[in-house]
Amino acid sequence: MNDLAIPARVLRGSAAARRARYSTIKMWVGGVCAGIVVLPVVFARVLPLPDPVRGALRETSLPPLSAGHLLGTDPNGRDLLSRILHGGQTSLLIGVLAIIVSGLIGVLAGAAAGYFGGWVDAAVSRLQEAQMSLPLLLMLLLVVALFGSSVPIITLVIAVAQWPEPARLTRALVLVEREKPYVAAARVLGLRRVEILARHIIPNVLSQVLVVVLLLLAQAVLLESALSFLGAGVQRPYPTWGGIIADGRELFVTGEWWLVTLPGAAIALLVLGVNLFGDGLRDRVRRAKAVQA
Amino acid sequence: MAEAAITAGPGGAFSRRALLQFAGLLGAGSVLGPALAACAGPQTAAGTGKTLTIVLNRNLVSLDNKLNQYDAAVTVQRAVRQALTAIGSDLRPHLVLAESFEATSPTSWRVKLRDDICYSDKSPVTVEDVETAIRLYFQVQAGYVASQFPEQPAFAKVDDRSFTLTTTKPLVTLDSLMSNILITPAAANKAEELREGLGTGPFTVASADSGTGTYKLVRNDNYWGEKALLDEVSISYQEEEGARLIAITSGAADVIDTITPESAASLKKNADIDLIQGPGTRLIHLFYNFRKPAGHPLANPKVREALTYAVDHDSLISSLMNGLVSSAEGVVPKTLAGFAATGKYTFDPAKAKQMLVAEGVSGLNLTVIWEDSEFAGAARVMEALVTMLGDVGVTLTLTQIPKGGEINSWRRGEAGDWDILGNGYGNQTGLALTNLVGQYGGTAEKEKTRDTYHGFVVPEVTALLDQAAAEADGTKRDALLTQAQQKIWALWPAMWAWTPDNVLAKRKRVAALDLSAANSYELSKVQISG
Repeated sequence: MNDLAIPARVLRGSAAARRARYSTIKMWVGGVCAGIVVLPVVFARVLPLPDPVRGALRETSLPPLSAGHLLGTDPNGRDLLSRILHGGQTSLLIGVLAIIVSGLIGVLAGAAAGYFGGWVDAAVSRLQEAQMSLPLLLMLLLVVALFGSSVPIITLVIAVAQWPEPARLTRALVLVEREKPYVAAARVLGLRRVEILARHIIPNVLSQVLVVVLLLLAQAVLLESALSFLGAGVQRPYPTWGGIIADGRELFVTGEWWLVTLPGAAIALLVLGVNLFGDGLRDRVRRAKAVQA
Repeated sequence: MAEAAITAGPGGAFSRRALLQFAGLLGAGSVLGPALAACAGPQTAAGTGKTLTIVLNRNLVSLDNKLNQYDAAVTVQRAVRQALTAIGSDLRPHLVLAESFEATSPTSWRVKLRDDICYSDKSPVTVEDVETAIRLYFQVQAGYVASQFPEQPAFAKVDDRSFTLTTTKPLVTLDSLMSNILITPAAANKAEELREGLGTGPFTVASADSGTGTYKLVRNDNYWGEKALLDEVSISYQEEEGARLIAITSGAADVIDTITPESAASLKKNADIDLIQGPGTRLIHLFYNFRKPAGHPLANPKVREALTYAVDHDSLISSLMNGLVSSAEGVVPKTLAGFAATGKYTFDPAKAKQMLVAEGVSGLNLTVIWEDSEFAGAARVMEALVTMLGDVGVTLTLTQIPKGGEINSWRRGEAGDWDILGNGYGNQTGLALTNLVGQYGGTAEKEKTRDTYHGFVVPEVTALLDQAAAEADGTKRDALLTQAQQKIWALWPAMWAWTPDNVLAKRKRVAALDLSAANSYELSKVQISG
């Protein structure tokens, strides 16, 4: 009957169907862009690549497509592809760890603020506002200057810097959820408030929050690269994307363009990919929620 | 109909919309035009009149040298303030404000000021100004210049133009050392770095901003000597080597100094730019920490020697330094008077391994520190060392100290422990003795306040240097210096040392720029053609 009432051609051309198609395209394009960077980075240790730290000075500053060096070498004769992929491991490791920690803090704090309200809400909200009013990069530099620049410190610093975003979203979603009948029913059944929050409300909002947390990965990678670029990242000689770019920038004008451009392209591709994928996923989750409602 | 209603003329040439669009474009053009034009091409502040634009690689900080004096700063500082003597291109002292500077005995010098000298405000230079200058250079805390004097010379006025300088021990190089004491009117001098003020030099300060490192000097028309040929000198600094390179190629800068080997290679191909290159007097070394306890491997000279064989300096010089440096053949640069060739660094990793095993050293882990941009390509050199030392079983941990003064705490051992320091040591007197006293003349007394060069205290060496400083006979003095340098070399104070060439780039329109071995030049003689 439906088929007769609204032809398939019209359905395909509808705004809803168009949005669904766009979100699928975004997810595919994003997935491919991020995959081009992430997969080689993850398997860097398995791939037949030269050591990213030890170089041969006789192979100094070879351009891309040189024999044995697909992306060329740096002035120390180290393979640039190997350095980008191994550097990506540091950046991705820090990024993933940072979003796990920031997601955890954000979901717990936001859920508590949204569900309990009162002084808990006031405290969490004011803390978020206070943190968001601080210049992020300067704060990160200050902490790294005070406590050093190891992977755990940088991870923790980025995680703490990013928690307000998932916390705000979680709070808003929990505020809506807590008024729903299933929460009232759970209360009537005698469940404790923490139990209701943990077993019923958080699982219901998690899918939407996770999309935002995923989007934070791109920001975390960019922050780590910025810190490394400014010399506050992981110590030499271990490669990081920001560090490779910082070292190569003075050589850009002398003709060694690949030292800045190629790691820059890797960062751009990853950030673009993660953002497109997250964007598409958000559209899909939002639509699924709307259908549920 | 509507269209007909809004046309202004019978031909319909100008509609109201077209007129508004035209006016809008005109407005936007007049507002954005200059900005776009500026973005499209280089801003050529230089190139007009006789203004020379210099872009340094470090902030000049001040026009005084009490606390700091890196090579390129000397050029600008001496253009405003002068000393009794100056070190010439031949690295020997020649008279500037002094008419005579004569040793009357091994411990006493008699100095007479010129009768025609004056400051830029025409006020005369007095012997009291000299007395105050000497006193304040020694009063300032952690003074760079004062540390090069074995002792503060005692001042005694003879008459309005003459005075004597007396030391307790003979100090035969006092005329060279006094080239670093810049003279300022006594009333304007302070025991701190002077940001501006009067001088006797061929230029005066028109504006100064030590924060941004921007200075504007104008010709001193009251100069007592031969007037400067330039009208104005504009000095700024730019840490980014790439930005300096763009500045000189675009014409925004006339001169950039102390350029990196990569930039030199790139600028050689530019027809509008000349490169001036010559042997320098700055020694850069990977100096061991001599404050290690007795049981530490680095306290053993054999271990220190073994590590030197791990450094492939030929590869470093050819690959990372474009051949613009010379490996040291002694403990001071060979350009300095009094230098003695004591040996050469050799690359022999097998010998390094063998010696380390013989000394019972295995799994050695060393921390290397250096200040960011202490020398060209510092980080690349250190990263290459990780590979080289790794080949002989030594692990290096690299710690790059950001610019801003923290390195001094590290050097004194207050900020953390370290094993090897990458450091440059400049020389403005042309004398090997200055370097030797500054680096190897440490005493137990000085070490109490950590005022020695990274804990190097060898009384035998200090005694030889004291004797050399007191020796009036040049031949005997050189013999003592040679003896001291041989003893120092035998202790293997550095893993590797080298002297970079002085490399300066200037646009072709800049003439008569005579770069000395001390990496400075006389601004007053520089000309601009075209």
